[in-house]
Amino acid sequence: MTRLIRLLLFLLVMADPASAESFRVGAAISLRDALGEIAERYQASSGDSIEFVFASSGQIAAQITSGSSIDLFISSANKQVDALIDANLADRTTRRVIAANRIVLIVPVDAANPPGSIAALAGDSVQRLAIGEPRTVPAGEYAAQVLASLKLTDAVADKLVYGKNVRQVLSYVERGEVSAGIVYATDARQSGDKVRVVDRADDGMHDPVVYPSVVVSASRHSDAARKFQIYLAESPQARAVLTKKGFAVSDGAEPKAADR
Amino acid sequence: MTDLGPALWLSLRIALVATVVAGVVAIPLAFVLARRQFPGKSLAEGLILMPMVLPPTVLGYVLLMAFGAKGWFSSILGGYSIVFRFEGAVLAAAIVALPMLYIPAKAGFASVERELEDIARLFGANRLQTFWHVSVPLARRGLISGLVLAFARALGEFGATVMVFGWQPRRLTLPISIYADYEQGNLSHATGAVIALSALSLGLIMLYNASSAGRQA
Repeated sequence: MTRLIRLLLFLLVMADPASAESFRVGAAISLRDALGEIAERYQASSGDSIEFVFASSGQIAAQITSGSSIDLFISSANKQVDALIDANLADRTTRRVIAANRIVLIVPVDAANPPGSIAALAGDSVQRLAIGEPRTVPAGEYAAQVLASLKLTDAVADKLVYGKNVRQVLSYVERGEVSAGIVYATDARQSGDKVRVVDRADDGMHDPVVYPSVVVSASRHSDAARKFQIYLAESPQARAVLTKKGFAVSDGAEPKAADR
Repeated sequence: MTDLGPALWLSLRIALVATVVAGVVAIPLAFVLARRQFPGKSLAEGLILMPMVLPPTVLGYVLLMAFGAKGWFSSILGGYSIVFRFEGAVLAAAIVALPMLYIPAKAGFASVERELEDIARLFGANRLQTFWHVSVPLARRGLISGLVLAFARALGEFGATVMVFGWQPRRLTLPISIYADYEQGNLSHATGAVIALSALSLGLIMLYNASSAGRQA
């Protein structure tokens, strides 16, 4: 009799199909719009509920390190993810790149005398240049690499304005407070007609702009987080949204439409 | 710590100019409002004192909306923007410093016996001369202590300033340099700035206390 009861209880528990889970994803802010769309669909179909934390990758990594309850981390550079893995705070076996991006130079759409290229940033018509803060903002680190590769670092040093994240850089350019800014191609696209792309960095000028993701070791929802991660990396729906927003997805598919 | 010098110098310059600006606005206002009643006076005074309690982000927001590149006044000003500029930092600091000067200044002017001013007028001094040669000297305790307090407040201004002046790696104010170190996960680098600001603030507030104390000091 007790065996039967135990069997029934077991079946009862296991039979619950979508035990809806709730978990947190910390993601680079450049993914905000794409992830918002993807998550809406995912939450509707899976019953899980996702809470997002969008910030610069450096800030999210710092939050994870100080114990914040984030389950899945998606960075816009390898550095932050690998640092967490090395510190045993993230599960190496779950490391997965979900997208890639390009670096572009943008100017306010109504700029009177904008620079025509990254090389022109040293010129006098460029009063202020906004980039992400290089130490904690991957977009800023890529920007610094691009400037260094063209030997412009010293020439633009006095003109620099740092953004706490790449969207703040974008905002400065949209508002016309700076002469130019260096952001991701996807950000420029998101901004639409408020900014104009005048140049794109060659791949050789910076580290590959990839978005590695990893499940946080201390996560108590690692299965749910992993499921979402795989959905991001593999499902046609997620890849379609990423491609539509201008990201390159990991099988090498090219972003839609030119950046110029 | 090597960047302490430029940041300190920039903060001192901003605070000095901001105090002068605050003085030019607050001292005449304090003089007039110490003497006159008029409808709407409490609203006017409320507006002057508001920066004392207004969240710094609200002030920053208003400054950006008003004086940014696409702000309300940008077309009148020919596209000029205060963002990332010295004038922007001065404006933010002056606004928060203003009530700090206004209150002691008003008290100082209020304590000047009207008769003394009346006598000066009787002797043929015009309003400006009376103000400058009678009222101001007699109110000087309130004015000086108010200026010291205003300077201290301007020196420590951060919230609205960081929104308007931003994070410019080559032009950091002392409070913003601490914030930058914090953002970069490098708090220990900020020690020098913290000590400098603490020492300056303490010295200034002690100076304020001494200069505002009456004969009881």
